[in-house]
Amino acid sequence: MKRCFALLLLAAPALAVELLPRGWPVHASLSGRVDLESYLSDGAPPALLFSDDELFFNPRASLFADVHLGSHWYAFAQARFDRGFDPGLNAGGKGRLDEYLLRWTPFDTPVINVQAGKFATVFGNWVQRHLAWDNPFITAPLAYENVLIMTDRTAPAGAGGFLARRGRTDTKGTWLPVIWGPSYATGASIFGRVERFDYAFEVKNAGLSSRPSAWRADEVGFSAPTYSGRLGFRPDAAWNLGISGSTGAYMIGEPTPGLPAGSERDDYQQSTLGFDASYAHGHLQLWSEVILSRFEVPNVGNADSLSYFIEAKYKITESLFAALRWNQQFFDTVPDGAGGNATWESRILRIDAAVGYRLSRSLQLKLQYSYAHENSPAENAGHLLATQMTWRF
Amino acid sequence: MTRFFILALLLAVTSGACAQGVVEGTVTLTGRPMGPAPTSHYGLNAGRVAESPKQLAVVYLEVPGVKKTPPAKPVVMMQSGYQFAPGVLAVQTGTQVIFPNDDSDYHNVFSYSKAKRFDLGRFRKNETPPALILDKAGEVRLYCEIHQHMRGVILVLDTPHFATTDAEGRYRLAGVPAGTFQLNAWLSEKTTIMQEVTVTVGKTLRVDFSGLRTASSR
Repeated sequence: MKRCFALLLLAAPALAVELLPRGWPVHASLSGRVDLESYLSDGAPPALLFSDDELFFNPRASLFADVHLGSHWYAFAQARFDRGFDPGLNAGGKGRLDEYLLRWTPFDTPVINVQAGKFATVFGNWVQRHLAWDNPFITAPLAYENVLIMTDRTAPAGAGGFLARRGRTDTKGTWLPVIWGPSYATGASIFGRVERFDYAFEVKNAGLSSRPSAWRADEVGFSAPTYSGRLGFRPDAAWNLGISGSTGAYMIGEPTPGLPAGSERDDYQQSTLGFDASYAHGHLQLWSEVILSRFEVPNVGNADSLSYFIEAKYKITESLFAALRWNQQFFDTVPDGAGGNATWESRILRIDAAVGYRLSRSLQLKLQYSYAHENSPAENAGHLLATQMTWRF
Repeated sequence: MTRFFILALLLAVTSGACAQGVVEGTVTLTGRPMGPAPTSHYGLNAGRVAESPKQLAVVYLEVPGVKKTPPAKPVVMMQSGYQFAPGVLAVQTGTQVIFPNDDSDYHNVFSYSKAKRFDLGRFRKNETPPALILDKAGEVRLYCEIHQHMRGVILVLDTPHFATTDAEGRYRLAGVPAGTFQLNAWLSEKTTIMQEVTVTVGKTLRVDFSGLRTASSR
């Protein structure tokens, strides 16, 4: 039986079930992905791993629906069934519609595209390759998943209370990273490509750091939109350079508890600036991002951070690849409420190393080891071992 | 005596050269595009995506014991308009195939087929194109890692007697030796129609493959 299943995986004709014959004016297809992930850490699981267990198993099934109506209209949806958008968030299992969009491309060239729905942010260069098949790693870069002492739930009473969070273990239910994964918030965007230039602008209902529950328009609404954009330049096929920006409210809930009298949550913004570069040639691919982010914290002031990563992937054979990523985050000071200044978060270094093997066009195995060092008494696990098997169909 | 011998030799050579026939006909094609509609969830191409190439057939004759040297010149499998061109290519075993990129974006051609497993990496327009020698008979199904709608196939054959149909399904095999052989019409990885044929010297044999209903398939 096991042998039959293995053969089925290897022999499965990738990819996509076409719901209508090819060549029709309407083209509809269903494709999917099954990810089986495991995480083993030597302490409190880091980043956006919500489980308290040091060994955690996370199966995930994803279904993708693509519908083309002629060459100018396109609709897409991604549904997932798993133990939470972030592993362990819903340990009992849950299904969600994570992405859906309707796109209009008025011309035959990609110069203008307009889309609306719930979809990945245009910020940076990591999100375009965040799905398991395209990401050489199992986890995201540090800026996209390392939770900080920043919260979207309540305003701190003062600098003392805010800084006191540094000594606590990560409270992932209320704390935020700089960017929450692919940030599938709801809204609309306009984007396109003209010769060597790309552009993309979006208006979304929630900030880059917002948690998945805030991405749904029916949960948070559009009363405090976030504006993001990216301008890209490709000197040639090998290089892709970009600058991204984003600004918008990051707190949710109205009224937000603890805000100074006379202020509203929209008065406190997250403003983020990013520079990205990628290079590829032959079997080598390199990516890098530098992200500067400022949270305006009620009763405290501006909390600034700088994050960056450099990532390399090399295909050793047609099936085997290796990848290495160096991530760091640095944090500025805020007034400590006692006349001085204090660094508002602990700086962190993380090195990710991964190997992957593609057995076929539909089956991939990955193994990742991460070492992290944080200057904090409440440091998360320093070592993480993760495995992932991905089957596409 | 010598003159007679030379005359006999000339006659033998001439008759040998003429001991060939022609097989031609049509294959009923589905006319379906080889690849799905291009889909880009998170990225954009530099230019317009061309229509997917239509599925063509390859007709080839199995002639036991006959092998010719593969062509010295490499055969081209282009990437143009974010599609493989041609979509279907037939070559003889041992042929070198090159993969030039005619688009402004990278392509990354790969195959996990039994006949050839490779990944050419990312290569750009005007760069010396990667080349492969296809040394094992069979189907080599081509994909691009970056543009997932792209589909192509190279059929590697152990015979020099093959032809790819045109869009109407027409084919012509000239210079075929006389005798009784198996004629195959390859339509897809799942469908090859086979028919026994007898080729007569100096004559044209017409063989139409009118579809799965009238022919055996494997």
